[in-house]
This record gives sequence, structure tokens and C-alpha cells, in this order.
Amino acid sequence: MKINRRKLLSLLGASPAILAGSAAAQGRKTKASPEATGAKFEGLNPHGMPPAIQLVSMAPRLASLDGKTIYLISDGFPGADHFLDQIAIWFKKNLPSVTTQYRLKKGGFADEDPALWAEIKDKGNAVIMAIGH
Amino acid sequence: MVTIAFKDLAISTAAKRGMPHERICFTPHPIWGKSDEQMYAYLEGNDPVTGKPLMPEVIAALTSPLTADEQKTGTVTPSVGPPTFVETYDNLQKYYMNNGMTDFMPIIIPTKEKVEAMLKGTSHDPEELIGELTPARGSFPAWKFTVRHVAINAVMAGAEPEYLPIILAIAASLLPSLSSSTNSFATAAVINGPLRDKLNMNYGIGAMGPFNQVNASVGRAWTLFSKNCGNCGQPGETYMGTQGNAVNFGNIIIAENEKDSPWTPFHVQKGFKKEENIVSVFFGYGIAQGQGGLGSAIKPVPQFDQGLLYNFIPLTSIFGALAVLDPLVAQDLVALGYDTKEKLTDWLQKNATLTVKDAKTMLFTGGAALRGPQAAGLKDDDLIPHWPNTSLINVVVIGGQTNPYYQVANMSYSRSVSIDKWM
Repeated sequence: MKINRRKLLSLLGASPAILAGSAAAQGRKTKASPEATGAKFEGLNPHGMPPAIQLVSMAPRLASLDGKTIYLISDGFPGADHFLDQIAIWFKKNLPSVTTQYRLKKGGFADEDPALWAEIKDKGNAVIMAIGH
Repeated sequence: MVTIAFKDLAISTAAKRGMPHERICFTPHPIWGKSDEQMYAYLEGNDPVTGKPLMPEVIAALTSPLTADEQKTGTVTPSVGPPTFVETYDNLQKYYMNNGMTDFMPIIIPTKEKVEAMLKGTSHDPEELIGELTPARGSFPAWKFTVRHVAINAVMAGAEPEYLPIILAIAASLLPSLSSSTNSFATAAVINGPLRDKLNMNYGIGAMGPFNQVNASVGRAWTLFSKNCGNCGQPGETYMGTQGNAVNFGNIIIAENEKDSPWTPFHVQKGFKKEENIVSVFFGYGIAQGQGGLGSAIKPVPQFDQGLLYNFIPLTSIFGALAVLDPLVAQDLVALGYDTKEKLTDWLQKNATLTVKDAKTMLFTGGAALRGPQAAGLKDDDLIPHWPNTSLINVVVIGGQTNPYYQVANMSYSRSVSIDKWM
């Protein structure tokens, strides 16, 4: 009867790996893996393709804020409205000639609000937008 | 103005949208939950990034003349690095890991030979564009990716070529496994059809655990291609999950146990034929055990419908509910009279109610019931449904019948995609 030594060892709770000892004792050569020899491998880059970026020139700056209207825009994150209230209070105390206008941007956090942008272009001189928590 | 917790995100987002020199001032974090006095103190204090007084910095941002760099226009093509990396095996493992391309566990190095072998798992052209992935649609630029890109990530995950159609179908759902949100969201995929048996997917004992190469490598590939093909999962930049989610390593992969389920398979409920191979993806907070909790010992027989209600009530209703039942639970529910999944979900939708008072205590819940004109007449003791309709409650059957246990996921069904299309 042919004995399956691996199965027998497993049933006895011993690892069949001890059979490797007998192979070594018989002088069989084992081949080193390429990983162990320092051979070089070439792996492919797994990244997808990001879109090209169109650089946008920033809006010109104001010479001063005196007499100007600053729109204070919340993107809807909790707390932004109260924070912008405090900015309005700061301007009243420190730069009373500045007029502030609070607005909540419509839609989700990253949505455009073209009507608001048009209003700001028409009636505002600058924007401070509160983003995040 | 941005809180400091989002500094990297704000700077990189501005750059990716074409304003690498956007003038951003930072405040301490958080704003949410702070008193008016505390917020005013932020304004009187310093920008935590520059150390300079904050409001003078804001004024300077609005009034200092633009630099030449700030006025530049034109097109910039971001680089993702060279097409291949050549190094020793150990150094390549470190390179992929240190450059954010792995899940921080060793990968199968995606050599040309291995990727070509993987691509034999599909009849599709390797250069075929599958779509665009982004950590949050509308908030981050979407990256395009091809069949070859997914195949490279499938090799890295330890998948075999015959698993590739499942991975491609999940990719084609365009649902990344890593959302950018601070919420640390999770994703799940329910797989139906004869391919489960052909590939020996596990839907028995340990079905959602690390006990099967198909289940494990498909889930792992989802995270790897989300990171690499969609630029998801970059902490502080495209991943803001404040605590992370343990399921993101391999996601929740559910090969439905159609053989032992007394009900219609999930994909057939969605209008597909039983013999079609379909993957259905879900998104939400994750999954939790149902047994042993409130309602789990209601007698005389296990009242699993009542037990499910106890599990549903604490869930947020911004996501749906996915009940993941062992076949023994499904069989008990049939004995209670729920001979279809629809009867069960109808009952659950009608009976998963909470008071207006309780709904108001939940940060994101209440849904449509607490908004709109009808909400004006509601009193605190009034009961409102947790979910407005049954389409938000789904049921799948999986497990090895060692005990009548179940799990409940606070997750919404997103869409179903044909796996057969990608063979």
C-alpha cells in the first residue's frame, strides 16, 4: 500500500514541511527564486489618466477695501453661516466703510451658482468664501 | 477661507481647478460647534499655517497686486509618472507602497507578462475607455481609465484572469470604493448568476470573510483601482475619512447564496434574467452584526422581522438598509409568512418608524418626512417612516447555515452592471 506521507503527517498534527529535510539530506539542489537573487523586474504603472488643467488667471485685486462691498459666501457646511456673521461683525468694528453681504450658495458643496456669481459681478467688489467644517 | 484640517485638500483642489496660487487663508479647526465668541477669537488670532494675524492676511489677499504666476493661463498636463518602474523585487514592492499605489500590503508586481495574461480574461480591447472615476463627483477632477488600467490593478490584487470580468463590471459602475467624505464610507458588491459557481466563489461559511481567492481579490482590486485609476484614497487630499473604515481593504463582497435562498435572487428582482451574471453595487456607512442585539431573542420562534426592525431603527435614513440574511433566517421568515422578499421589505418599510422627537436627534435622518409643507403640522410624538418607500430596503441571502444569524448594512443600492458584457 502506498503511503501518502504528507497526509499521514497532517493527521498526526505535524507539518509536511519536515519532508523538506529529507530532500535536503538526499542532496537535491533547490533553485533560488528570482526575487532573492536581486534580479530586476519591470512593473507597469497602475494609474489612470488625470484631466489636463486649464490655468485660470485670478481676478484683479482692489487697491483698498474702503467703501467696497464684500460678499460673504457659505458653501453650506455646518457653522459657515455663523462664522461669516462674525466676519461681518469684524468688518463693522474695524473697517466700517466696508459693506458685507451674506449669501448661502445654492446646491451641493461643489455646485456652481451662476445667479449668485452674476449678482456678485454686478453688485460686489470682492468675495470671501467659507469652505469646510 | 478654509479650516486647517482641509489645508492639503484646499491647495490641491485649487491647483487642479486651474488656480495653483489661489489665495487661501486658514482658521483653526473646527468651526462647527464653536460659539460666536470662539469664532471671533479665531478672527482676532493667527492663521495657523502662516502664523500671521488672520484678518490682516484676508485683507492683503484681497488687495495685494497679483504676481506674474497668479496671472498665468494655458494648459498643464499632470504627470502620473513613467509607464513602467524597473527595480529589484523588494525595491519595487517598497516603491509601489511608498508612492500610494497599494493598500499597504504586498502586491503581485504587475509585469507586462502578468498583465497580458490577465487581459486574456476579457474579449475587450485593452485600450477601451471604461469611464471616469473620482472620489466625489463634482468636487474632484475625474480621471479616465481603460481596461488595461483595471487589469494592472487586478494583477496587483492577486486576481486570476477569469475574475477580470467581475472587476471590470465593478469598475464600469463608476462607484469608487474610497469616497473623499469625512464620513469614512464603505462599498459593497452583490454578485449573482452562474459565474459564482463556475469560479467557486464563496457564499457559504465565512462568505464575507477572507476565505476565498475570488471574493478577496475582487474586493481588493476595487480598492486598488479606485486609488490608482481615480486618484481616490489620498489621505488629506482626496480622502478625508476621519477614522477610516476597516472594510475598505477588501470591501463587502457578497456572492448571493441563490441555491439555499427561498427567494428570488437580487438581480432577478432588479429585472435581469436568472442566468445573467450581474454585479450590484451599494454605498453607505457599512455593516454590523444583527444577532445578540435588541430584538434578537423575541419568542416564541425567532421573530426575525421584529429583530430586523430593532436593527433598522438606529440607522440613518440618508442611506437605505441592506439586510444580509443567512439562509436559515430566510427560511424562518418564509415560515412567518414572508414568502417573497417584497413582502418582507413592505412590512419593514411600514413598521420601521420613529417619533419626530427621535428623528430630530439624528444628524442626517428624518428625510423627506421632516422637510416640506407636511412637516409643519408634525408633533414630537408623531411617528414617521424611517424610509419613504420600499426601494430603499433590500435583502440578500448569504451564509453557510451554521446558525440563523444576519447582518444589517446602512447602505443604498446604487446600480447593477452586467458582468457578461465584460467577458
